[in-house]
Amino acid sequence: MTRSPAFHVFRTAALLLALIFVLIPVLWMVSMAFKPIQEWSATGDLLTWWPRDPTLDNFRYIFGERTSELIVALERTAGRPILASLLSSVVGTAIAMLAGTAAAYGLSRFGSGRNLPLALIQLRLFPPLAVMIPVMVMWAYLDLIDTWWGLSLVYGIVTLPFAFWLMKTYFDDMPREIEEAALVEGCSRFRVLTRVTLPMMRGPLASSALLVFILNWSDYLIALMLTTREWVTIPVYMASLSSSMTGQLYGAKAALGLIAAVPPVILGIAIQKHLVRGLTFGALKQ
Amino acid sequence: MTSIHLSQIVKRFGDFTALQEMDLRIHDGEFIALLGPSGCGKSTTMNIIAGMEDPSEGRVMFGDRDVTALPMQKRGVGFVFQNYAIFTHMTVRENLAYGPRMHGAPRAEIERRVVEMADFLDLGAILDRPSAGLSVNILQRLAIGRSAIMEPAIFLLDEPLSNVDAAFRAVMRRELKSLQQRFEQTMVYVTHDQLEAMTMADRIAVMDHGVLQQVGTPLEVYNAPANLFVAQFLGAPGMNLLPGMLDGDGIVLEGGGRIALDDREVRTARRATGRDVVYGFRPEEARMGEDGVTRPVSFVERIGARTILHMEGGIKAVFENDVAVAEGRPVTLSPNPGAARIFDAGTGARLEG
Amino acid sequence: MTDTTGRTLPAADPAAVARTAVRDAKDAGGGTSTRLGTWLTLPAQLLILFVAVFPLLMQLYLSFTDWTPLSGRNWTEAYTLWAGTWNYEDVFADDRFWGALGRTLLIVVVAVPVEFLLGLGLATLFMDEFPGKRVLYSIMLVPMMIVPAVAGYMFYLLFQSDGPINGLLSAISGQDVAIRWLTDPDLAIVAVMIADIWQWTPLMFLILLAGLLGVPQDQLKAATLLGAGPWQRFRTIVLPKIKTIIVIALAIRVIEIFKIFDTLFIMTAGGPGVATETISVFFYKIMTLELAWSYVAAAGLVVLVGLSVVAGVAMAFLPKPGKRA
Repeated sequence: MTRSPAFHVFRTAALLLALIFVLIPVLWMVSMAFKPIQEWSATGDLLTWWPRDPTLDNFRYIFGERTSELIVALERTAGRPILASLLSSVVGTAIAMLAGTAAAYGLSRFGSGRNLPLALIQLRLFPPLAVMIPVMVMWAYLDLIDTWWGLSLVYGIVTLPFAFWLMKTYFDDMPREIEEAALVEGCSRFRVLTRVTLPMMRGPLASSALLVFILNWSDYLIALMLTTREWVTIPVYMASLSSSMTGQLYGAKAALGLIAAVPPVILGIAIQKHLVRGLTFGALKQ
Repeated sequence: MTSIHLSQIVKRFGDFTALQEMDLRIHDGEFIALLGPSGCGKSTTMNIIAGMEDPSEGRVMFGDRDVTALPMQKRGVGFVFQNYAIFTHMTVRENLAYGPRMHGAPRAEIERRVVEMADFLDLGAILDRPSAGLSVNILQRLAIGRSAIMEPAIFLLDEPLSNVDAAFRAVMRRELKSLQQRFEQTMVYVTHDQLEAMTMADRIAVMDHGVLQQVGTPLEVYNAPANLFVAQFLGAPGMNLLPGMLDGDGIVLEGGGRIALDDREVRTARRATGRDVVYGFRPEEARMGEDGVTRPVSFVERIGARTILHMEGGIKAVFENDVAVAEGRPVTLSPNPGAARIFDAGTGARLEG
Repeated sequence: MTDTTGRTLPAADPAAVARTAVRDAKDAGGGTSTRLGTWLTLPAQLLILFVAVFPLLMQLYLSFTDWTPLSGRNWTEAYTLWAGTWNYEDVFADDRFWGALGRTLLIVVVAVPVEFLLGLGLATLFMDEFPGKRVLYSIMLVPMMIVPAVAGYMFYLLFQSDGPINGLLSAISGQDVAIRWLTDPDLAIVAVMIADIWQWTPLMFLILLAGLLGVPQDQLKAATLLGAGPWQRFRTIVLPKIKTIIVIALAIRVIEIFKIFDTLFIMTAGGPGVATETISVFFYKIMTLELAWSYVAAAGLVVLVGLSVVAGVAMAFLPKPGKRA
């Protein structure tokens, strides 16, 4: 079909507008992250879109270096929160993927756990804060507050629905003839799963795990409730950053925000083909 | 009802030329088949007639009207897609009513036309059935009815039988042909299946590599192929083609052997641009004899009604009944009198006497 | 599906039917395989039991007491502070709770349609080919992959009264613009909605584009040849075909907005006053500032029951998810 020139102009304008809308918030934070203190604390006319004097000071500062006479070096650096974010997200992802994949296979092949699909959808339906009280009570009781494993466990169950539903749709889509052939050859059911099915599912497993990781890494609220000091994650740490002398540490926070934002963006673009399926619980397979 | 004239159509996609100076006249009320292997440009031709694609050069005329610049929705063309493109979320009735509805026809008139068309196509009993899940021949009828209700001057059909299993095609072909006779519309039918083209079309336009090879009635293209491509493409199996050199009153074949020609054939063969010619005869137009083409039999295909001999050098012969031959032993084929087609080895064109 | 005049479509393949029958017999008969199934689903079941079912029961229990972490008693002894249905009575009489619920709904009612329309428009533009499409597609997905708390911080920076948005507006209008985006009660909620629209329009775009790409091109061409214009094609072909997908996309966004916390909390912390206090922020504040845990437990259950009823009613009216229209 041929389009009129007016349509081309309209489309270009609309796409350009969308591009600007999408990029401005990101670029502004990136710009702030590379500004020296004189620039990120500037207001009014002194505010510029691009750093006049780009520097890595903000990154050095959050890792404990004193970079300016104006602000005191940080007592707690970003190293530990980054570790906390990584550890809790990775372990949470492992929990969700192990339990989710196993349950998805059990349901897809043996019809076990028929309550799971709906139960896990319901789990996603409710605002976490509406059900946080007993979890906090339990975690305090079990001494799990402010530990990475306590956080991981909650992450594991919060993202379990995604892992389960995604893997279920992949298992449902997988042709069973291959497994049946292996069964006929005399493999046990369990061996078929570990030697035939899972190796075949490497791609889906990887993309599901990455999606679950992104979701865990993106959490703020749960870490805010369940960690206090030792194991706060990047977003919690970022929100708490301020200095008694300058108030908000815009530049340092922007640098931290950038560190937090980069991994999921890269991973998300890498698995963009699977995003639709992942975020709609497999309802849309694209 | 209208005639179509494609005048010097060229279609390029980037560097690739899909159609080369295509010139084709389709008569009013004719059923013409565009036949060729995939990638030959037949679908592009049809899309250009429909207005789904613009030609890079040349004009499309419907009757006296130049429609080259007319968008597809204004050409008054009925199009039957390969998979019929039935609106699966609608009922049969809604599908039939779609065209008139989009043209803002009054409700009563839509209803009248739908019922009329449904009666005509024997769809009356299933008007309110959902169209998803109907059988293929009903879908085909519905697709034709949905277009026919707009009374298009031209019907274009894009390989409508390619998704139908072989056993059912004969039924579908009969039905399609009878529909065409009832509607009396000009129909352009794209296919890669020569059986469909041979059995249904008034004329066949054979295409290859974006070039129109030959236009003619089914028997014309079968009996008098214009060139080597048509000779080989039509017929199952295609024509035997043996390169050779003209020598007095016969042709010395490249793989060995000599074929004697009669006077008329010698005169024909002399028209070749060089001395190299290609001698052709249909596999079903030969018998076992004393002289002719002698080649070892590589294998024998017995399919009941017919026996097909596959001989070395790609030569085939078809016999009505079983023949006593052994694989590996040489057999001599004598083409029937008058079966010979002689082609210019340089240009590929058939030489006519 | 069979018609008297014809045959069925390829669907019925006797060999496939036979295979399914064999498979079913094998699965049902084999004791070991069902036992393996139970073992495989056990971890997930335990997790649900441990982090969902048991806590819910505990929450129900606490909601009938007056227990708080400060009451100096273990939660198991919360019955000593039995409060009956007081908490629930309080919830229903609490204007702040209903206000928070109302604001959450307001965001749903404003942001979701905007996200839907923008996403649909963008998806429509992406149906055509144009240079740079693949790169632009990836860029368009970036907002939804930004950590929400970080997105909140981005907009916090943008909307400072001496920040770049006002700077931009000043440059355009030629006069000094100092709109108090985050501290004016009426504007703060607008700012929060803009951030949500920025972050989640891409999700709508992604899902709707997948839906649009699933609409058979042949049917669209057939409709065009039958005289349908762009709007008619959209209304009669595209919309009915992507109906289910639209419902899924909208449902996901409505559910997520009910949970909205991170972005909003970083931007305004629910303020100024309670101007942007949504239901999650309300819970958080009562929990951390007033430590009225049993009250939050009751309010949480009220929200849970409410959402379940709404979801149940919605499910009854909707086509089955996963089934393409």
